[in-house]
Amino acid sequence: MNIKLTRRQLATALTSAAALAQTPSGPPATSEDDLKAARDRVQANGAALARQEVPVATEPAFQFKA
Amino acid sequence: MAEIGNDVFFATITELNARLKSKEFSAQELARAFSSRLAQLGPRYNALALPLPQQALRKAREVDQDIKRDRLRGPLQGIPYGVKDLLSLAGQPTTWGAKPYAAQVFNYNATVIDKLASVGAVLAGKLSMVELAGGGGYRYASASLTGPGLNPWDRTRWSGGSSSGPAAAVAAGLVTFAIGSETSGSIVTPASYCGVTALRPTYGLVSRYGAMALAWTLDKLGPFARSAEDCGVILQAIAGSDSKDPGSAGKSFYYTPQYTRPLKDLKIGYAPADFSQWAQPAARPAFDAALGVLRQTGVRLVETKLPGFPYGAVLSTILAAEQASVFEPLIASGKVDELADAAQIAGLKASLDVPAKDYLKAMRVRRLVQEAFSRLFTEVDVLLAPGRPAPATAVDQPLDRGGPGPGGTPAAAPADPGFRSIIPAGNLAGLPALVLPCGFAENLPLALQVVGAPFSENLLLAVGKEFQARTDWHMRRPPGV
Repeated sequence: MNIKLTRRQLATALTSAAALAQTPSGPPATSEDDLKAARDRVQANGAALARQEVPVATEPAFQFKA
Repeated sequence: MAEIGNDVFFATITELNARLKSKEFSAQELARAFSSRLAQLGPRYNALALPLPQQALRKAREVDQDIKRDRLRGPLQGIPYGVKDLLSLAGQPTTWGAKPYAAQVFNYNATVIDKLASVGAVLAGKLSMVELAGGGGYRYASASLTGPGLNPWDRTRWSGGSSSGPAAAVAAGLVTFAIGSETSGSIVTPASYCGVTALRPTYGLVSRYGAMALAWTLDKLGPFARSAEDCGVILQAIAGSDSKDPGSAGKSFYYTPQYTRPLKDLKIGYAPADFSQWAQPAARPAFDAALGVLRQTGVRLVETKLPGFPYGAVLSTILAAEQASVFEPLIASGKVDELADAAQIAGLKASLDVPAKDYLKAMRVRRLVQEAFSRLFTEVDVLLAPGRPAPATAVDQPLDRGGPGPGGTPAAAPADPGFRSIIPAGNLAGLPALVLPCGFAENLPLALQVVGAPFSENLLLAVGKEFQARTDWHMRRPPGV
C-alpha cells in the first residue's frame, strides 16, 4: 500500500544522496526508431518461438496454488 | 572510543562478528563508521540511494544491549549492510531507481529486511540500481535515478546492472554485505564487474515480498559479500518459506558445505570456447589460471554443451509480458516518459505488444528447458562459465551495441556457442549461481560463475569456499579506498 509523503519528507528524500548524485540532463525522448526497434524485437522473439517445436502435452512452466 | 581501522571495512562477516563479541569495538561504533563512510564515498560511485544513519544507530544500540546480555543472534548480529532500492522499508522512500517513483513510500518492510533485522543485522542504507531493474532494455549506464553506477576499480567503467549499488558498495567497503536482485543477470553481471562474491539463489528460496516485481516467474533476491562463506551465512538468514510470496518454494536453507560430496568426486561441466574464444584476449590468462586452480582441488572438468533452445527469445518474451502487466499503469499514464533511458522507455511500451500466445509458448518451452537441465545435472554436478567474458565496459559505452573492444564480443563470433546463454538459461530454469572473483584484466576484476541444480546452494558454496581457500582475488581492494 502506498502512502503519501509530506512536503518536508519529500524535500528530505530529494536532497538525499540519491537526488544529489549525477542524473541525466534534459527530458528523455522516445524516438520512433527506438520504439520500432523494440517492437521488431518482440516480433522476432515471437518468430523464434514459433520455430521451436513443443510436444502437445507440454504445459506452461508456472503454477497456481489454490 | 575504539579506533575503526580501514581493515574493518573489508573484513568478512565472521571476522567482524568475532571482533564485536570480543568488544574490540561496539556495534554503535561500527554503525557510525560505516554510515559515515557510506555517506562520504557512496555518491563517488553513484552507489547510494538513501543513507539511514539514525536507523542504523538505533539498531546498533539494540545489538550492543543484546551482546552485553549474551543474547547472541548469530554471525550477522551487528553487521552493517545495504539493500538495493527495490526493497521496501516502511516509511522511507523506495524509488525503484526511477524518477516516476522518486516519492514512493510503503508502510511495510520487505521480508528479507525483517529477517535480517531479526538476526541483528544493521541496515545502513539503500543502494542504487538501474531504473526498474532495466527490464525494458536500456542503452546507457545512466539509466538510473542516481546516475550511472561507477566501478570502484575504475570510475570510468560501469559497475554493472541492475544491482549497481550493492556490487559497488561491497567492493568499496561501504557495507559488509548487500542484498540485490536478479531477473536475468542483475546479480551475476555487477558482481563480476566489481570483483565481489555473490549468490543468485534458486527461484523461490528467498521471499520477494516487499520487492519490486519485474517478472514474477523470474525475480530472485540474493547476497553480495566478501566470500562464499559470507554468502552462505546470509542465505541461511534470508531464505525460507513465506506465505506472502506466491512464488515461495517453501524451503529453508542451512549453510552446511561440510556435508556436501568431496570435491574430487565432482564433475564440472564447462565449454572451453567460453574461456579460449569468447573471453576477451586480455582476460584469457586469468581464466586459464582459475581453471588450473579448480583442477588442483580434484574436481573433474568435463566438456559440456548447453541444451539447444532459443534462450534469449524465451526469456525476453516472458520478461516483456510480465513487466507489461506490472508497469501497464506507468505506461498508460505517460509517466514512463520520465525514465532516463530512451531505449528503456521504448522497450516498456513495446512490451504491451507481446501476444498471449507467445507468452504461453515461451512458458511451455521453459518447461522443456527445465527438463533438459534436469537431465544435464545427471551427467555433471555443476556448470562453470565466466561471469562475463570481459571486464567492465566503459561507463559511456552503449550497452545494446556489441562489437570488438573492451567488454564487447569478439569481432568474429566463434562457431561454438559455448555457454554464452548461461545467464538467460539459468534464470529460465530457476538455477542458483555463485559468482567468484578470479583475477584481473586491464586492472579490472574478472569472475567465474558456478551454476547448479535447483537447491544445490551448499554444493556451489563448497566449490566456492575451496576456490577461495586457494586464491585471494575475493579479498582484493580497489585502489584508493
